[in-house]
Amino acid sequence: MKKKLVALMMTVIMAGSMMACGSSNSGSAGSSANGASQTSSDVTGASSDTAAATGSDPLNVVIWDSNQKAGLQQICDEFTAKTGIAVNIEVKDWDSYWTLLEAGASGGDMPDVFWMHSNNAQMYMKNGILLKLDDYIKNSTEIKMENYMPEITELYTYDGSYYAIPKDYDTIALWYNKTMFDAAGLSYPDATWTWDDLYNAAVKLTKKDGSQYGFCMNPSNDQDTYYNMVYSMGGYIVSDDHTKSGYDDPNTLKAMDYVGKLVKDACPDPTTMSETGTDVMMESGNVAMIMQGSWMVSGFLQNDYMKKNCDVAILPYDKTTGKRASICNGLGWAAYSGTKRPDDCWKLLEWFGSKDMQLEQAKLGVTMSAYQNTSDQWVNCTDVFHLQPYLDETTASTGDAQNELVLRPYTYNSTVWSGAAQTKLAAAWADPSIMEQTCKDFATEMNQDIANENK
Amino acid sequence: MGNGIQAKRKFEKIIIHIILILMSVIMLVPFFWMILTAFKTVGEATSVNPFVIFPKTWNTDAFVTVWKNMSFVLLYKNTLLLIFWRVVCAVLTATMAGYAFGRLSFPGKNFFFSIILLQMMIPSQIFIIPQYLMISKMHLTNTVFALVFPGLVTAFGTFLLRQAFMGLPSDLEEAARLDGCNIFQTFLFVMAPLTKSAMVALGIFTALFGYKELMWPLIVNTNAGKMPLSAALATMQGQYGSNYPQLMAASLIACIPMIILYLIFQKQFIEGIATSGGKL
Amino acid sequence: MTSWEKKQFFWGWLFILPTMLGLIILNIVPMFQTLYQSFFRTGDFGKGNVFIGLENYEKLIHDPEVWQSLFNTFKYAIVEVPLSIIIALVLAVFLNRKMRGRSIYRTIYFLPMVVAPAAVAMVWRWLYNSQFGLLNHMMHVKIEWISNPHIAWISIAIIGVWSAIGYNMVLFLAGLQEIPRDYYEAADIDGASGPRMFFNITIPLLSPTIFFVMVTSIIGAFQVFDLIYMVMDETNTALPKTQTIVYLFYRYSFAYNNKGYGSAIVMLLLCVIILITVFQMIGQKKWVHYN
Repeated sequence: MKKKLVALMMTVIMAGSMMACGSSNSGSAGSSANGASQTSSDVTGASSDTAAATGSDPLNVVIWDSNQKAGLQQICDEFTAKTGIAVNIEVKDWDSYWTLLEAGASGGDMPDVFWMHSNNAQMYMKNGILLKLDDYIKNSTEIKMENYMPEITELYTYDGSYYAIPKDYDTIALWYNKTMFDAAGLSYPDATWTWDDLYNAAVKLTKKDGSQYGFCMNPSNDQDTYYNMVYSMGGYIVSDDHTKSGYDDPNTLKAMDYVGKLVKDACPDPTTMSETGTDVMMESGNVAMIMQGSWMVSGFLQNDYMKKNCDVAILPYDKTTGKRASICNGLGWAAYSGTKRPDDCWKLLEWFGSKDMQLEQAKLGVTMSAYQNTSDQWVNCTDVFHLQPYLDETTASTGDAQNELVLRPYTYNSTVWSGAAQTKLAAAWADPSIMEQTCKDFATEMNQDIANENK
Repeated sequence: MGNGIQAKRKFEKIIIHIILILMSVIMLVPFFWMILTAFKTVGEATSVNPFVIFPKTWNTDAFVTVWKNMSFVLLYKNTLLLIFWRVVCAVLTATMAGYAFGRLSFPGKNFFFSIILLQMMIPSQIFIIPQYLMISKMHLTNTVFALVFPGLVTAFGTFLLRQAFMGLPSDLEEAARLDGCNIFQTFLFVMAPLTKSAMVALGIFTALFGYKELMWPLIVNTNAGKMPLSAALATMQGQYGSNYPQLMAASLIACIPMIILYLIFQKQFIEGIATSGGKL
Repeated sequence: MTSWEKKQFFWGWLFILPTMLGLIILNIVPMFQTLYQSFFRTGDFGKGNVFIGLENYEKLIHDPEVWQSLFNTFKYAIVEVPLSIIIALVLAVFLNRKMRGRSIYRTIYFLPMVVAPAAVAMVWRWLYNSQFGLLNHMMHVKIEWISNPHIAWISIAIIGVWSAIGYNMVLFLAGLQEIPRDYYEAADIDGASGPRMFFNITIPLLSPTIFFVMVTSIIGAFQVFDLIYMVMDETNTALPKTQTIVYLFYRYSFAYNNKGYGSAIVMLLLCVIILITVFQMIGQKKWVHYN
């Protein structure tokens, strides 16, 4: 009996491995067929018919934000319906996304199409990992680089060549819980708010028994939280020429001191925050205010508690500088320079970058689009939240304050120091009295990291 | 007097059972919690006041969602292939080498055997970067071969099989030789079959640790369709964040086949592990 | 050389050929490559490495993060190894007799061994969660099990103990079966108590197995990675006080792509493990009894 079972198991395993061999064979056959039709399409000039023939293998697309998957899938489905090229979208979390790209770039096995981020776009462009798009853009009727926000285009330009099609852009705004404000008898945040107003309200909204906190921020909430405070108060994270850390700048230290005060007086215990993200704390009704990027809207729209209780306001400004700063960033769609099907990849990039699809991305509420003058569509994607504040920050001034959009600070390879900042700052979160020293120490470390970049 | 001792014995027995049962509960609580959480809604899982232990309705949404989002069939297949090839390679090479080290004498034997011992002492992380670079230079990342690669041969298995061969009586071998068997025939038909239990032990050991390996698959097979279960589960946490019902559902789907296999073949499992370790 | 000796030479080398070839390609050469690489600063995407001599080691010596991680690894091992050995040993002794439910207990204790480490880590992380976790709820406390720097390393070690008990127990049970029953019967007639038999008979006769389990457990504890990787987030306040040396190696080598520094870190690990193993080998003469 026992022997029979073992034999059975072995047969199952063998059968499984045979199946696998079979399918891997057919896979390679498929890709070589692709290669063949590829060449023929080069000769005959690509038409959508030959593209349909190459579409047996899906293009691999990798992204890191699961909130955007559904919307992008829809856009890709339309692409497949039109061209016959199948697209397979895979979502990774932020950390493994970059490990994947890094490993893929070293090993010569990358996804076909993926997102690029200002954090280390320079490194990828310089090393020829990304497909150069100049010729494709020249011959394209759909893509005119002037149509996109110049700041975003700039991020993915290296030595005068384009390496990615701008996908989106994002700004930061303040989310607040109306129900909690009502209960505390406070008026909702608006354009008149300074950082001091935010602090005072947050303290008032914090209950002693730990059932409710005024604010919530993690050391990992850099772009969406403390960077904005730093730039609003006149400090900086990276110097304009991307060579020097600003963590020891007096104004940065002033902002970080404010951060420490806020964490100490109005936020949940840092240990709690490090276990549970600010979005989850907000969604579960534990905190009254958080700062979040426009990319979170599609996620919040799926949460009933948020829909019922929360809304959006413009970020506060600093009284001394009179400046309201929102960090802004934009992703680019890039393709792998070593891809076997560069033309198909380009077709997909062109599709993502076309005016129609950029509009659709906004309309579906995926994100704001990088294509100029499409943002109204995004603001109107829902009537549950008032998303206008995200746009107001892109205008010159609101109320008494000058608005400033600041590109997310980056260097040649920001992964190293931005990762280290999270770990280092965690100590200052736990004990805000060492905030100043921590920042100063970190500035030294960060300058070292920047000096070690292989620019 | 005799009664007193009997009563004391009985008392001891009861105490021991209580300890064993308590320990069982501790061992099982995480499993129960995994199952209970998987059937809850996110709301129930993150409700503090009141704290929910049993879900109101046994809701299978989490299972449906993760089954749709993760290609478990593919993951099972990758894991099965990883285990299958590693076991075949390990048992094959280790049995041959174990026989040579255990029963034959040849020049260089001690030198080579000391390499085996050395490898067993060295932490495997030291090999990982160069192994990864090899796979990556051969453009073999995201393949089954990449998963199997570090387990093609095994120093530990060689050691295990050597011990098994050394424990066999030598008259069998001599008889076989008198019958006209050459060394290879003696090995294949006489000696190797006698170490079957050591081979099974090595097989189970290899399978179990292949299934549990995390760092290597995370590094070489980053493509979601090419991962084994362990790595896919690990990357899932980053993506689904705090949706614990889904995380637990995925964990259950990933682990239940191995648990069932274990429950069916538990005697072989436990004996295999017992044979594979013990003395230096 | 007689023809018999020649035959053994031929077949011996042939039989060990695959294993030795594999070991040389997979282990011996990589070991030297790692050493070699530790003298380089890694270029982008592994191209254009720059020779920097001992700079990585200099950085390593002055890097408090490395020494803290090494210390964390020690702390983990000091909790995990003795606890998992003692609990497993006691359970094995209890189970080493004819009794009802013996195989059920054995099955249960071994169960964590067959679960993927990622699943183990996730469920424990959930049990430990300070807001919604079962543990805090059952005990009516609010302890930050995995984010309080003073506690987190113990919490991690407890997961390690929970996972390892079954494995160690099975090895001990196998060792116990080899102790002849007459020893116990003789002691029983002499009127020796249970604990006395345990210390005077069981421990000495089981010492080779205990030694084996100890050596392998310590080596295993020094290489712990999965638990830290899965349970601790990068922003966890307790991470600096819990991350192990192998976790640090992973982060430098594959997340920051600084494979040169990663190599230097793993060379340090090698030295530590060799040192500890040598000490144990010397120490064993004092307490391990082979018959």
